[in-house]
Amino acid sequence: MNKNLYIKELKRNRKNFFVWLSIVFGFTLLVLSIFPYMSGMGEGLTALMEQIPPEIGKAMGMDEQTWSSALGFYSTYYGVYIVVLISIYTASTGAGIISKEERDRTSEFLLTRPVSRKTVFWTKIAALFSLTLIFFGLQTVLAGIGLSLVNEGTMDWGIFTRMHASGFILICFFTAIGVLISMFFTPKKNFMGMVVGLTFGTYFLNAIAKSTEATKWIGYISPFNYMEITIDPHHAFNYWGAIVLILVAIILLIVALKSYEKRDMAG
Amino acid sequence: MLAIETINLSKLYGENRGIRNVNLKVERGEVFGFIGPNGAGKSTTIRTLLGLIHPSGGRATILGHDIVSEGVELRKKIGYLPSEVHYYDEMNSRELLEYSIGFYDNINPDEIEHLADFFELDLAKNIADLSFGNKKKCAIIQAVLHRPELLILDEPTSGLDPLMQNRFFDLLEEKHKEGTTIFFSSHILSEIQRMCDRAAVIRDGEISAIENIQDLLKKQMKKVRIVFNPDAINRNLPIGSQNEKWHDQKVNFEYVGPIESLIQWMNESKVVDVVMEEPDLETIFMNYYKR
Repeated sequence: MNKNLYIKELKRNRKNFFVWLSIVFGFTLLVLSIFPYMSGMGEGLTALMEQIPPEIGKAMGMDEQTWSSALGFYSTYYGVYIVVLISIYTASTGAGIISKEERDRTSEFLLTRPVSRKTVFWTKIAALFSLTLIFFGLQTVLAGIGLSLVNEGTMDWGIFTRMHASGFILICFFTAIGVLISMFFTPKKNFMGMVVGLTFGTYFLNAIAKSTEATKWIGYISPFNYMEITIDPHHAFNYWGAIVLILVAIILLIVALKSYEKRDMAG
Repeated sequence: MLAIETINLSKLYGENRGIRNVNLKVERGEVFGFIGPNGAGKSTTIRTLLGLIHPSGGRATILGHDIVSEGVELRKKIGYLPSEVHYYDEMNSRELLEYSIGFYDNINPDEIEHLADFFELDLAKNIADLSFGNKKKCAIIQAVLHRPELLILDEPTSGLDPLMQNRFFDLLEEKHKEGTTIFFSSHILSEIQRMCDRAAVIRDGEISAIENIQDLLKKQMKKVRIVFNPDAINRNLPIGSQNEKWHDQKVNFEYVGPIESLIQWMNESKVVDVVMEEPDLETIFMNYYKR
């Protein structure tokens, strides 16, 4: 790892980091601040929920728990918005962290310094996952503080931890995918559309899979299928799912490195 | 140990582009020119040497290090000045140069100020706001800051005004005296003539000649203009004369042959005035380009 490059990468990405952090913070605060009003309408909403076909409810991550507790309400939005939003940020940063140098043709400067491509790659990945971890950590702390303020009664921190740990695995997985796709498309490409499509797309594939038995098979192609981000107390953290997703992410990164080491830097 | 040695170095992109079987030997401490028209393969050769692109065949060493397997070691000893400068727009020159020296060991950051003063570069200005010439100055500074043993220069003077070109050549002369090897790629022959001991000509991806610049100039023809005494015009020009143009008692011609024969012939003729010129390197190299 190259310290000089690592620090520069953190600095270069700080602006984007704070823009996205403020979006996700704003959204987290919005969700937590509307809960007290929604819970006041609890009975009416539960009645409303009964009107909604259960398949749609499941697809949207809503169930009878949604309105009953702050954590239930938060979990409805955590999967579909917060995890997806953070993943879009980290995957698009991952897609740009190496390819941007090629697009802007600064790779010529970087790769004529005395560093190997392998060092450049892993240093950038280290900076990327540092940003991911800091982002995830700050959002988790904010959500934890917010939930303890708006929640009435006991709070199940075990479920909160399981939900967030699952979310983190998903975010890491999408981050690795972001790095990989940037290696296989021309550096002129803007990856944001691809990243948004992939994260939201796989979320909704999983949602469709969960809505009926007949569509269950679709879920197997979505990483969301393997991680538990609802508050269902019957579910536990899927260790095997986490190990497989992390292993796949590492393999994707190694494939990306091999591609990076082989490519010619156009003049 | 040679500064640069390439053995059948090739980089092929499809049928016609790239470089084929490039063989070069550049001695340490030498200023070596690399000449060729645009698209001949100069930059491809340089980018292959630097590890930016991978050779399809052959091999090369720089200061004894293999370009493929020992890239990190050799890049410690190289300063590279690209023909087109692409830097991080969000940085200013000072940040860029500090970032650059962060990759090397034991560089004195005061050198940045010293060189920026020498080239009149405003270090506080953002790179995005710099003119092409100022970006080039920044690129020159980054190329020499870590005191490399070998400087690889690709069209180094493009974008520099004549005053800065002179300062740049002063800097190169100083570096040359300190023992730095300079690999100077250009299509501007007067620069090669000014700086280089030897030069290779590349054309269509292949080396067509490697010549000692002084020998080349000596070997070549002279342009001769003679004014005769009007009463004694000698119309029998010496053997080796060509393209003669008469105008009354004056004649212009090109002479290729031993200089003694020409002097003896002038001695025997009643010559009033004589002017002899060396053709410029451009004329000489046009022969290689045309071949």
